[in-house]
Amino acid sequence: MKNKKIYQLLTIAFMVFNSSVNAQGLLDKLNKEFPKKPVYEIATFKTTRIGLGHSIETRKKGALEILLYNRYWNIPNFEGQRFLADVVSTRYGLDYSFSDNFTSGLGYTNHDKITDGFVKYKLLKQRTNSRKGFVSIALLQTFSHRNFETTGGSIYEPLATSSNSYAFTSQVLVARKINSELSLQLTPTFIHRKANPLNDDANNQFALGFGGRHKISNHAAIVSEYFYVVNTITSVETYNAFMVGVNWELSHLLLQFQVTNARNFVEDTFITQTKNNFNAKDGNFHFGFNATFVLHTKKKKLK
Amino acid sequence: MNKLFPLFLLIISFADFDVKQNQFIARQGQVSFFSYTSVENIEAKNNQVLSLLDIDKKEIAISMLMRAFVFKKDLMYEHFNESYIESDLYPKANFIGKIIAFDTSTKETQTRIVRGKLTIHGITKETDIKTAIKKTDENYNVSGNFDISIKDFQIKVPPILSSNIAKTISIKFTFQYQPYEE
Repeated sequence: MKNKKIYQLLTIAFMVFNSSVNAQGLLDKLNKEFPKKPVYEIATFKTTRIGLGHSIETRKKGALEILLYNRYWNIPNFEGQRFLADVVSTRYGLDYSFSDNFTSGLGYTNHDKITDGFVKYKLLKQRTNSRKGFVSIALLQTFSHRNFETTGGSIYEPLATSSNSYAFTSQVLVARKINSELSLQLTPTFIHRKANPLNDDANNQFALGFGGRHKISNHAAIVSEYFYVVNTITSVETYNAFMVGVNWELSHLLLQFQVTNARNFVEDTFITQTKNNFNAKDGNFHFGFNATFVLHTKKKKLK
Repeated sequence: MNKLFPLFLLIISFADFDVKQNQFIARQGQVSFFSYTSVENIEAKNNQVLSLLDIDKKEIAISMLMRAFVFKKDLMYEHFNESYIESDLYPKANFIGKIIAFDTSTKETQTRIVRGKLTIHGITKETDIKTAIKKTDENYNVSGNFDISIKDFQIKVPPILSSNIAKTISIKFTFQYQPYEE
């Protein structure tokens, strides 16, 4: 009699247990079915430039970027009556992505008459929730040609266009998206310039760039950049370039607003030849406005 | 005999549970969504949606990774994940629901309401979805479409871009289920 009861109890207990196993959420079951694929971080910086210098971002294959970078500043004790700002410098640029990892671009700046170009290759992509791929790494090589007139040593020599005005910048961009809000970048930089007979400046210079982005809303972020130059040029006094600004994106249009002491747009010039410190004096205060329009020349087909 | 009877029952219940296939899985379910506005049409497709169908309990569960959506333009993909759906915070969208008046015996296409909870962007909402269910031999095909309002799931669109993104998004889905083996 006793045994029977135990049996019945056991049976009931087992059935309850059985049904409870069965009732284990279908969703939990599904979650175990997801294939384990690496997930790469996206939007570490969103824009291909943090502000002054490049970020690790490259656009996907077929993306054409039309860039219009402006910088405004005042001339100290200027007598003129120019609208808004005394000087405006603009860089017109075009970047094209040949593959998801390889981008190339060209640009021309009207104020300092520098033609520049770059190739950029994304070497490593940071992975989410994985020990592999701790950082994203991109390699950047730029070249620039400066079309400036050298005032020759004596009055007997006419103004000549220098041909020794090439410069090359190599950068290793290392960035990590710390969390969804904060991304940081470290940029070891090597700059090589052709010897200039007029001064004794070093041909090779080393610098280290620091960059950061902090998201303030889903469409805007505060960005900042600083470049420390290890061996500064001796012919003129230079300062390290600093920038703080806001990046804002509107669908295909990416806008950057910034305040900085850098006047030039090309790496080798603004990193090593920024001749003013960062403050609000006329001539030192530069307002930057960058507009980038992204055009997708190749559209993905949805299967 | 009396003692053995519950044991019998137990074995039968066990055996019954084992032999009869009551769960079906779709590993390559397709979910696509559309946003039509006069400014811009946005379309995205996810071909790796997982779904389980339990015909005993008449339950259906769907789970998908937001990062698996493919867009025509890459910038859309970035904005969708980063600015709108926030896929680093809410990587998945889920649905779990019951098929109302589901007839497992018929081989004809039946249109049924699936009532359940839809979770997108971390927000769960009670939703009724009209679906067409068809049984073919060992498999089930489930498809349908429905609309959601982006406001319901607290997906914020800045006023300056409100003309680019539709207030109601239409969603289309197709699943092909096969017997599920754990």
